[in-house]
Amino acid sequence: MYVILVYDVKLDSAIGQKVLRNVYKICKKYMYHIQNSTFEGELSRAQIVKLRYELDEYIRKDKDSIIIFKSRNERWLDKEFWGLEDDKTSNFF
Amino acid sequence: MKNTYYLLKNGELRRKDNNLIVKACDGSEKVIPIETVKEIYIMGEVNVNSKLMTFLSQNSIILHFFNYYGFYSGSYYPKEKLVSGSLLVKQVEHYRSKEKRVELAREVLKSASYNIKRNLRYYNERGRDLEDEIKTIKNLRKHLDRQNEINELMGVEGNIREGYYRAWNKIVNQDINFEKRVKHPPDNMINSLLSYVNSLVYTTVLSEIYHTQLNPTISFLHEPSTKRFSLSLDIAEIFKPILGERMIFSLLNKNMINEDSFEKEMNSLYLKDSARKVILQKYDSRLKQRIRHKVLKKNVSYRYLIRLECYKIIKHILGEKNYEGFKIWW
Repeated sequence: MYVILVYDVKLDSAIGQKVLRNVYKICKKYMYHIQNSTFEGELSRAQIVKLRYELDEYIRKDKDSIIIFKSRNERWLDKEFWGLEDDKTSNFF
Repeated sequence: MKNTYYLLKNGELRRKDNNLIVKACDGSEKVIPIETVKEIYIMGEVNVNSKLMTFLSQNSIILHFFNYYGFYSGSYYPKEKLVSGSLLVKQVEHYRSKEKRVELAREVLKSASYNIKRNLRYYNERGRDLEDEIKTIKNLRKHLDRQNEINELMGVEGNIREGYYRAWNKIVNQDINFEKRVKHPPDNMINSLLSYVNSLVYTTVLSEIYHTQLNPTISFLHEPSTKRFSLSLDIAEIFKPILGERMIFSLLNKNMINEDSFEKEMNSLYLKDSARKVILQKYDSRLKQRIRHKVLKKNVSYRYLIRLECYKIIKHILGEKNYEGFKIWW
């Protein structure tokens, strides 16, 4: 599945900082960080479950929110760059 | 879907935040999500440390190293996760018993030569006039059934390859005088391409074997020796025509690779970095290309065909089902 993940973590206290840091680090293991608080990548169903399990440990249900946009395949997703173009999802470096 | 990563720049590969990060000498960096990595090809000069190796082992990721000239120098093969003593014993048995070994070796060569024949047929249908070569290979294939010694089989294979290589001058549009296979060092464009592409196929097969219980050092066609994973050589034999050689023809005929892609050094030719990138990109998309599998009734990638080949060999060794090598069916 091709996934776009966006998160919003409330930075009201030191705990918020910690949540933000952990959410960022966990997402980074599964997907490419394409913009602030936005990730993108190809994940299997099992990986999504795993990711959710890891994230659930940190996020506060009443304050933080994570949105996942799922698409069956990258093919069904048109991506356009307005402004700076940056190919972060390539497997060549 | 796990991905293969190709690092072409010089720099450093490190573990950071339980993740991978590459820092190139030119200051650019890239974060590689660990969960998406299947294997990593290191083409440039890259520093790695033991902390990284441990991390890669935990995640069962293989590193393939290539030297400055693009020759395969070796793989970091993490601790085996899938091991099976009973399979190993049976694998050795199949090597020790001459009949069992020849049976497997013959099947490997039969499917390899069938795929070679299909390559020729493909170009014959596109007006290259390869009737003679196809006929020679057809006849030689019949010889395979009669040979009962490994070196005799190897001899027949040599003859098949010779006839095959002779056809290349007709297949390739560019004017390259390709006579015979020369390695260490390759002397012309095709030899140089072959060396590079074969090492890619070899490493891909090795990665797939890693994810099965087979032991990569015990082979049937090639003599198991120290210093290499010879089972990869066996299985690579089957996939070289479809993954490697077909790609070389297309690269040359579409003029994606030409004389400008090579650097001449002393009496040998080496691929330029830019050309290597072109090949890798093409190879990567080839591995991902999918076809419908007749038996499994689902779409599988070319890469997965290699894994299926390993499973078939396992089944044969365990005596569940006789091994029938992969033959192009489309």
